Amino acid sequence: MSEVVPFLQLMVTAMVPFILAAQGTMLAGRAGIFNVAQEGMMVLGASVGFLVSLKVGGNLVGLIAAALIGAIFGLVLGWTTTKFGLDQFVISLALFFLATGVASLLYKVVIGVTLTPPLIDTLADWKIPLLGDIPVLGPVLFNQDGMVYFAFLLSGILYWLLYRTNLGLKLRSVGENPKAADSLGINVARTRIVTATVGSALMALAGAYLPMVYTGTYTDGIVSGRGWLAIALAFFGGWRPQYILAGAAFFAGMEVLALRVQVAGVAVPHQFVSMLPYVATLLVMMFAMRWARVPGFLGGNYDRESRTAH
Amino acid sequence: MTTLTLSPGAVRAGASRVVPYVIAVLFAFLASGVLIAVLGHDPVDAFRAILTSSFKSSFGFVETVQKWVPLVLLALGFTIPLAAGKYNIGGEGQLLVGATAAAGVGIVFANLPMVVLLPAILLAGVVAGALWAGIAAWLMDRFGVSEILSTVLLNFISFGIVDYVASEVWSDPAAGHPTTIPVGDGALLPLIGNPSMHSGVLLAVLVAAGTVIMMRRSVAGFELNAVGANARAAQVHGIRIGRIVVGALVMGGALGGFAGAVEVAGIHGKLIEGMQSNYLLLAIIIGLIARGNTLAVPFVAFGIAVLEVGASAMQRSAGVPSEMVLIVEALILFFLLLSDVVGSRLRRSER
Repeated sequence: MSEVVPFLQLMVTAMVPFILAAQGTMLAGRAGIFNVAQEGMMVLGASVGFLVSLKVGGNLVGLIAAALIGAIFGLVLGWTTTKFGLDQFVISLALFFLATGVASLLYKVVIGVTLTPPLIDTLADWKIPLLGDIPVLGPVLFNQDGMVYFAFLLSGILYWLLYRTNLGLKLRSVGENPKAADSLGINVARTRIVTATVGSALMALAGAYLPMVYTGTYTDGIVSGRGWLAIALAFFGGWRPQYILAGAAFFAGMEVLALRVQVAGVAVPHQFVSMLPYVATLLVMMFAMRWARVPGFLGGNYDRESRTAH
Repeated sequence: MTTLTLSPGAVRAGASRVVPYVIAVLFAFLASGVLIAVLGHDPVDAFRAILTSSFKSSFGFVETVQKWVPLVLLALGFTIPLAAGKYNIGGEGQLLVGATAAAGVGIVFANLPMVVLLPAILLAGVVAGALWAGIAAWLMDRFGVSEILSTVLLNFISFGIVDYVASEVWSDPAAGHPTTIPVGDGALLPLIGNPSMHSGVLLAVLVAAGTVIMMRRSVAGFELNAVGANARAAQVHGIRIGRIVVGALVMGGALGGFAGAVEVAGIHGKLIEGMQSNYLLLAIIIGLIARGNTLAVPFVAFGIAVLEVGASAMQRSAGVPSEMVLIVEALILFFLLLSDVVGSRLRRSER
């Protein structure tokens, strides 16, 4: 038991970036926008979140700044793909490159090259009264930082929004069959722009969480593929918020397991242990693709003047 | 001399291809110039450093050409599957496993003469890269796993392999960074030309020419483009889509592996962790700026190589962080895409 609780605590923390980035991917994806700039949005969120926290003061301000810059990039993605009909994949790759460049440029401009990188305070844990005293569940779920609660709450809100409200039904119809949605008077372009914007903001938040919890500082390799894993998680979770939340536990579990095995000094070389999350994801994808439902119009641009069936 | 007279239509078609590039480059430099000025540096100084350092000295020129080699190979490795509508985001991993295989052969058989060893390590790189991409192709063909995801995830797995080989198997403890011991002398590409550069440059030119011929003049290239243009129509006409798509990805991987082998045999002489630099990002930018046109790829790659070599010069002389160049490159791509929109709206309004 003494091993299990710290493991689960770390795992719940590690779930946060996966949840936020994958829910952001899912949200835009359910409206038909396939964003692949996660890695870039997260790096940019990490850089901006760290720098603003350091220079302006306060992690909350840093998180808000990261979400805003992510939203701007998402707005560009949504706008250029809907209003100009540009290829979603190509535009999000271009935004990925731009975000990567801006992220490390900002750090270089503000901090420069130092031997001892400046640190920010990591997020404080908020213990929820009563619930936090439950054995095992208390420390794991109810004695965490605010972003953990935010990520879990967000997943619930997204589930409610998508499946229990009229707005959610409309949103999903845009991703399944935009022509039908359009014929019912749903504004396809606006739905897509809004979801792409909010989705990218969530990705940037996911990135900002990394320096605020793990390292206290920004490095160029800080995201290390979590953005791409988040896309895998969106597929793995069948583009549904509730399964993404569950799948995030698996992805985070692999990450924490790899860390733990390295620390424990198992005879396996650490380089192979560090491959674990990626290998596990590939293996899981082999089977997930069979049952995973993908939004019908994912990645396709809607042209209301087109004569084809869509 | 009718061949020399160009019809107004042809002139306009040529112009409509070139003009977007000119506009995109100008806007990208303008936007980043503003950014450089905001950061408190002189944009003119910065751009002079970026654009001229490749041509001011023979050292700069050789560096540019040698940087061009992995860029053009990886960009072609991205472009070939792209013609079939598949995105190979795994150039980095393919380069690294190619480099690992090449370095392994070069170290184990270090005493062999060059006539045997050099072809062997280049072949090892090609095979390793092809197999690595083959994993992604198999996952896609057999299980329907998106090649975008599988190729990217294989990159991260390859980082671990390189780290392991360079710090456990053939580690050079004196290096202070995961690095292998050097390969045998017979594994090194001989220098050619004046100013001298490694002969991988020649090989890259040959590969690029071969790729263009394959894509434009061969049955395989035709089928590849047909699948990319309309997979259903291609299938109806008896093209086996699965085989074409798998073949395209494997070929892209082979080019990536070859790039890795050339980096080992021509530049480093050993396997070094981090030797992939940011070549993958640049290769994708090149492939997209060239709009998947294999003939344009070598030229775009040269332009990007010039910018990359200029980046460090800019940092030294103008004090602008070298990351600015990635922003310039991304902006060129971005404005190029936007100029398509403007162009098509203009054409529509003319009608």
